[in-house]
Amino acid sequence: MALAGETEVPVDTVMSELQGRVRERLRAQVLASGGPSQFEDPALFADVEALLHAAASTPDSAKLILPELLGEPDTWRLTTSMRYQSHRAKAPASLIMFLKRYVLMPMFRWLYEYSRDNFERQRRTNHVLFACLQELALETAQLRREIRRLSGDRQ
Amino acid sequence: MRLAFVVQRYGTGIAGGSEGHCRELAERLRSRHDITVLTTTAKDYVTWENAFPAGPSTENGVRILRFPVARQRRIKLFADLSDEVFDGTAAAERQQEWFRENGPDAPGLMEHLRTHGRDYDLVLFWTFRYAPSYFGLPLVADRSVLVPTAEEDPAIDLSVLHEYFDKPAGYIFMTPEEQDLVSSRALHPLRHAIVAGIGLEPVPLDVTPRAPIDALSIPRDYLLYLGRVDRNKGCDALLENFQEYAATRPDVTLVLAGPAKMQLPDHPQIRALGYVSDQVRASLLAHARALVVPSWYESLSIVLLEAWNYGVPALVNGRCKVLAGQVTRANGGLYYMFPAEFDEAADYLLTNPAQRDAMGRQGLSYVDREYRWPTVISRVESLLHDVQRHAPRVRHSPPAGVVASAIS
Repeated sequence: MALAGETEVPVDTVMSELQGRVRERLRAQVLASGGPSQFEDPALFADVEALLHAAASTPDSAKLILPELLGEPDTWRLTTSMRYQSHRAKAPASLIMFLKRYVLMPMFRWLYEYSRDNFERQRRTNHVLFACLQELALETAQLRREIRRLSGDRQ
Repeated sequence: MRLAFVVQRYGTGIAGGSEGHCRELAERLRSRHDITVLTTTAKDYVTWENAFPAGPSTENGVRILRFPVARQRRIKLFADLSDEVFDGTAAAERQQEWFRENGPDAPGLMEHLRTHGRDYDLVLFWTFRYAPSYFGLPLVADRSVLVPTAEEDPAIDLSVLHEYFDKPAGYIFMTPEEQDLVSSRALHPLRHAIVAGIGLEPVPLDVTPRAPIDALSIPRDYLLYLGRVDRNKGCDALLENFQEYAATRPDVTLVLAGPAKMQLPDHPQIRALGYVSDQVRASLLAHARALVVPSWYESLSIVLLEAWNYGVPALVNGRCKVLAGQVTRANGGLYYMFPAEFDEAADYLLTNPAQRDAMGRQGLSYVDREYRWPTVISRVESLLHDVQRHAPRVRHSPPAGVVASAIS
């Protein structure tokens, strides 16, 4: 029996066992469905999974490089909110915006919310993909640097 | 000390984490300090409809000053504004408009802080997201203590908060993760800050009767979800995960105890009980195989502490840093990031009784160590004294222009 204050079952140890089992199950499924044969190597699969896992856990608020390089956000970023705008003169514009906000929107709110939720999922997916690309680019850059260093050593 | 506690709603019948925290601290500190709760007449956190009489009153020995709410929340306008500002591109004025629309809009409370705020030694504010804290704290910043109850939800990313989180003279956090989150949003390192959390009274173990849940035909092997059954609490993902898991484990039931705010699947292994009495709630907690907390956003999961108080381990959403941090620090359960991990972790807890009980005991030790009232109160007292001793004081009211810009 454990003494008071002594940890009998450390969560980290159990979690790493569970995560190992989950990883093995996933590896078997990927291979069974025709995935790359390189994944026969469990250690390689674990490395790949860890890299993608880190990228997928990037918080929404994290600043990423690729979106900055895409240029003006209005040309590529998903806008998940509704803007009430009109290009007309002041009085007609007010009327149109009133109609949009208080007549059309209540009628179509369900459709708007359905679309917004889907756009939101797509926005999140884009963010994760940007993070994955950044992670891979970083790995590649580091490997290139290492190769250059090694070939420099040999010369 | 003369203390003011500013909170959006107050009263014994009011559910809500921050409101409950404020009330518990007020009632436990009132014998040592002169406390006035400054709040609104609202009871409903969705509409802010006036429900309590305005003016002074006393509850459980705590003096309360309630101010009327000028207008109810415009739900649809607020929803649209939330979409706009959470998009990440909204100007500062629109973000401030979000706090104004979020309410409750109590001009009398703002006026009281402006004219009498400096009569208090310290003014404590609960929850950064509501108007009384967002607009009220700058009026008495030199003597303010913020209890942010911040979560990793979209509101925390509003850029106007960088400056706001720099203003308080002190901070009371619920968890180390919450402190990290707020620190990462503030412009400068936070001044006086503590992680206090909330206190729990010990419960006698192994004596809570099973009869109340036997009467409801709750089986032996069940996972428990306690609280509002809502998509915002991660319940949609929980139900999907559990149904997938239940396909291979016909002997396990998921019990949902709390009001349902979403459609629930008709599944033989899912029992939705709706509101339950305190007796049933205690019995459910005491006899569960594990408590499941699927929420994405938490500043502190009180229900998790309650489960540990009964020696019951937990299975939590690992994508919520606070939950994963609590479980890891306590060694009081497991966490999952995706469905396959949910399966493995649930299976582990259900099929390894010795390890499960050990994790429950470890959770209980953690609560004994960190979350008993004497410990929590002593941390809070020490912070209040530190802030009072060290915070630079503005002796006169700020010029009217400064106040007007803070509240307009």
